[in-house]
Amino acid sequence: MRDETSPAVGKGAGAWLQFALPVAVAALFLLAWDAAVRATHSEIFPRPIDVARGIGELIQKGLLLKYIVASLFRVTWGFGLAVLVGVPFGLFLGWFGRAYQAFNPMIQIFRPISPIAWIPVAILWFGITDLAPIFLIFLASVFPIAVSATAAVQNMQPVYLRAAQNFGLSRGELFRRVIFPSCLPQIITGLRIALGIAWLVVVAAEMIAVNSGLGYLIIDARNAGKRYDLVVAGMVMIGLIGLVLDLLVRRLETFDEVRWGYANRR
Amino acid sequence: MSLRNTLVISAAAWTIAITALHAKLNPDSIRGLEELVSGALGKRDAAKEKFKIGFLPVTCHLTCPVTDFINQQITGHGAFEPLRFNSWPELKEAYLAGHTPATFILAPMAIALREQGVPIKIVYLGHRDGTAVMVHKDSAIYKMEDLRGRRVAVPNRYSNQRLLIFRALKQAGMTVHDIDLVEMPPPDMPAALYSKSVDAICSGEPFMGQTELDGYGRVLWLTKDVWPNFISCALAVREDVIKNRRADVQALVDGIAKSGLWLDKSMDHRMSAAKFVSKNYYMQDPRLLSFVLSKPPDRVKYTKLTPLRKDFEEIEALGRESGILKGTAHFEDYVDPSFADSATDRVEAWNFEGAKP
Repeated sequence: MRDETSPAVGKGAGAWLQFALPVAVAALFLLAWDAAVRATHSEIFPRPIDVARGIGELIQKGLLLKYIVASLFRVTWGFGLAVLVGVPFGLFLGWFGRAYQAFNPMIQIFRPISPIAWIPVAILWFGITDLAPIFLIFLASVFPIAVSATAAVQNMQPVYLRAAQNFGLSRGELFRRVIFPSCLPQIITGLRIALGIAWLVVVAAEMIAVNSGLGYLIIDARNAGKRYDLVVAGMVMIGLIGLVLDLLVRRLETFDEVRWGYANRR
Repeated sequence: MSLRNTLVISAAAWTIAITALHAKLNPDSIRGLEELVSGALGKRDAAKEKFKIGFLPVTCHLTCPVTDFINQQITGHGAFEPLRFNSWPELKEAYLAGHTPATFILAPMAIALREQGVPIKIVYLGHRDGTAVMVHKDSAIYKMEDLRGRRVAVPNRYSNQRLLIFRALKQAGMTVHDIDLVEMPPPDMPAALYSKSVDAICSGEPFMGQTELDGYGRVLWLTKDVWPNFISCALAVREDVIKNRRADVQALVDGIAKSGLWLDKSMDHRMSAAKFVSKNYYMQDPRLLSFVLSKPPDRVKYTKLTPLRKDFEEIEALGRESGILKGTAHFEDYVDPSFADSATDRVEAWNFEGAKP
């Protein structure tokens, strides 16, 4: 899945472009943003330089690291628990058709409910502690993970199973050596999407009265008079960290255990 | 290294590292978790815990952070724990779930909760006045009648600001059907007025003052011009807490009363409060609080905070008229004036002149 440059471009130039193209697009975006704010004489919407200053102010006050850590902590636990629950449950549903028939409608009912709608429940159960946002992040990410794991088992090539049966593998071995590895690429793709969602809901999850986090920064800045520079600063930080998270998950796809699943796309 | 080992080791290392870092940088968060766990294990002694009090970063609740700050400066520790929320629904839900035994809350919302069977009692008021109706400075709206057919934003169905609009309409010989009334969280109101997506906004300060300070808002009227001694928010406490922790509730009301008197004693006190509250509790530019606390000085007041029957009966009547109250709860059901009465006779302003360096 690595971005391959077109054959017309040389190797050295390709590596350079791989870096330069996204930077150029980002720079163009910043210029357009700045021009738009100046053209409309907006007193509310900040210019990129204001946002940079806002980020500087957060760093100076020692808040930026504090907020990033708080958000990452909540997403780590929410997403981590979702993986621990979602993957085994999804595999189980994929393997046992009856269980799938029984549980799938419930999953599809819960899946589209926005974490915002769960806020009252989260407050009721977990109070105004970190557990409430962790619960919301868990809810948002567990369903996509379970669904992708289920689909991975259901889409497994029957030839693997038949071959395994010919070798006389026991149930445990069958799962460990055939089912799980063959599903892994699709599970990893599901995790990548779910991690994006987990990070996406951090703003909603931190609407509860926690007093730290990037989502909190955005909500707090809206309360703080005309500090839309900090609102956008929160958005920028969430976006940048989202980019890093995605790059990290994509590293997983370079492992042999996963890469074979994308072989036909190379 | 194989995928599995890499994953397990890096995930474990990351989780431990981020948790440790979070515990170090955000100790409050972790303390909340500890409380929840010890509560679940039944090891928690609620009667000895500090009172948690819900509040929002608005001037209607200003006495809450002021009392906490002065308490901390004088005694070195706070007598209760102010818990800042960002919007009404979460504040209310935390109260209903029992996480905040006391909270600053919209007066009509407290009455409505009482009607719905919630054990809530108002023990003191948060403020008097402190609400404005703002229009865009370029608009041709100069009196209530000019709002005919226009869109007016209020904070919440259960806000007294909505009732205030009802009352002002009535005074101008109009009804709510003559305007387009919408609900909007106060923090979003300034931007909505700026972009002219609403014609008038009405909420507690400092959101109204902000539009004036930033140069696009104009005061249509202040509450003191339409409904003098207007109340939007009150301090409410759960009934079981009133019964079991009378001394703590009295100490809380005394503290709030002292802060109110202190705030209204001199402009220096107000400016000092603007600074320390903005910095430590609201995370706002202190200019904003300084502005709404001084221009004019009676924009919001913090004295005469004993809940009075006639004020609440007026709110009840308007609430019934506007359809948010059923009229099944009355003053003695939702107000316990004993703490306020006791405080009025004894309490004087804090003896506090500015923060220690």
